[in-house]
Amino acid sequence: MSNLNKKLIIAFFSVFILGIIGLFTIDQATQSRINNLPLITEIPAFQLENFDGKSFTEENLDNQITVASFIFTQCEGACPIMSTNMGLLQKRFAESDELQFISITTDPDYDSADVLKEFSNKYSNKNNWFFLRGSIDNVVELSQDGFFLSASLLPLGHSTRLILIDKERNIRKYYEGTVDANIVELQNDIVTLIKQG
Amino acid sequence: MKKQLFFQSAVVSTILSYLLIFVGGLVRVSGSGMGCPDWPRCFGRWIPPTNVEQIPSYIDPTAFNIVLAWIEYGNRSLGVLVGFSIIVLNIIAIYYFRKEAKLFISAILSLILVLANGALGAIVVSSVLNPFLVSLHMILALMLVSVLSYACIESYKLIHVEKFKNLEGNKTLSNSLILFWILIFVEILLGTGIRTNLELVSIENPLLSKGELLNALDSYKYFHSFLGFTLLFLSIYIYAKLKNNSLYIVKFLGIFILGMIIVQIFLGEMMVFFELPQLTRLFHTWGSSWLVGVIIILYNCISNEQSK
Repeated sequence: MSNLNKKLIIAFFSVFILGIIGLFTIDQATQSRINNLPLITEIPAFQLENFDGKSFTEENLDNQITVASFIFTQCEGACPIMSTNMGLLQKRFAESDELQFISITTDPDYDSADVLKEFSNKYSNKNNWFFLRGSIDNVVELSQDGFFLSASLLPLGHSTRLILIDKERNIRKYYEGTVDANIVELQNDIVTLIKQG
Repeated sequence: MKKQLFFQSAVVSTILSYLLIFVGGLVRVSGSGMGCPDWPRCFGRWIPPTNVEQIPSYIDPTAFNIVLAWIEYGNRSLGVLVGFSIIVLNIIAIYYFRKEAKLFISAILSLILVLANGALGAIVVSSVLNPFLVSLHMILALMLVSVLSYACIESYKLIHVEKFKNLEGNKTLSNSLILFWILIFVEILLGTGIRTNLELVSIENPLLSKGELLNALDSYKYFHSFLGFTLLFLSIYIYAKLKNNSLYIVKFLGIFILGMIIVQIFLGEMMVFFELPQLTRLFHTWGSSWLVGVIIILYNCISNEQSK
């Protein structure tokens, strides 16, 4: 019987140790989520135009968490999936006024303000998603030097990544815009940033 | 000697499986399930990368989080270890106990279950943690520890035949233990149902607080509490029936079950009032898995006589 008592004490002690390991692991996991969103770079100054004619500059990124993408309306491959995913996130975070979306066209010749407006009606269901156009040179420069995303052979050669930008214009992370697991990741990271304030 | 060997091997497999359920629960509560986006390897490597440069070019490094990767990898490694321990159990069973149906079948069944659950783990990852599949992954693990607990107690009884020889059987008690086990399983299914729904609601509404999430649940969360208290009364009955039993292990398991049910109710209420602290969730799940195995052991202890 004392043998059993000894075993019991060992068992309780083991459970206690497991509890500490569990607590430590959970804490590490929570911390790692914040650490995994490093400040990559600050978005440089730019000037583009929304489909409603209003100008959109780097200042519009202030105090908003922004999800950005490069697309063009005639694109049949990745863009519809990327835009559907952004629409999904827009819907899920509809209650938040701290989040906005921008999609920059890589085909400004075809994508007039009207075309972009029509495209917007298809995917966006709130007025916090801006569909932006500018001169092709501006867009290439912004993609390559601002977002560090390749932009050769436009419009087709645009990046399929979504970019998460924090409230201080800093790029925090890139996500493959067509991969479900990455969209889940992006959603979790948005929650982390919102909780950080 | 051979029986002793089988018993020890079964005990090691059972303890490792319980540890595995703990680590698996840790993966779920810490949200590390996608720590390794591929399977069976982790970012294309058998040992997870320790920095971003080690990730092969064909895998997108976006999701790389070293902490989450190693938590998930811990679950997989322990799973492999459990697999090996059950293979050892099967070698012993095939070698010495082919004619001992209870031991032989439980060994084979545990091997099938552990392999199936490993494969299901791969599907869980490729489904980007579909909450239903995650819960099914746990249910299979519970079945595994049930079978292993059965192997433990049956081999223990073969070693200590004289201990169980004079144990008086009690049909009502045996039946109430069967009922108890079934209700525990239903209770766990309800619990995983609550968890699954919480996760589904949370995916669609990422901004809801945990309190709001609980409120958004269907009314069957009340069934979980109701059944919990029903189990409490049943465990008091079982405890009363067993407290004067001549076998110390039987008496002890009766106390254990009652104590564990009380702890579980306490943890469950804590989760409601303190908005689901993760460590509480972990022990709530793990404690329920202990009950599943313990009842099987207890049942097979006291139903010894009747089978003769």
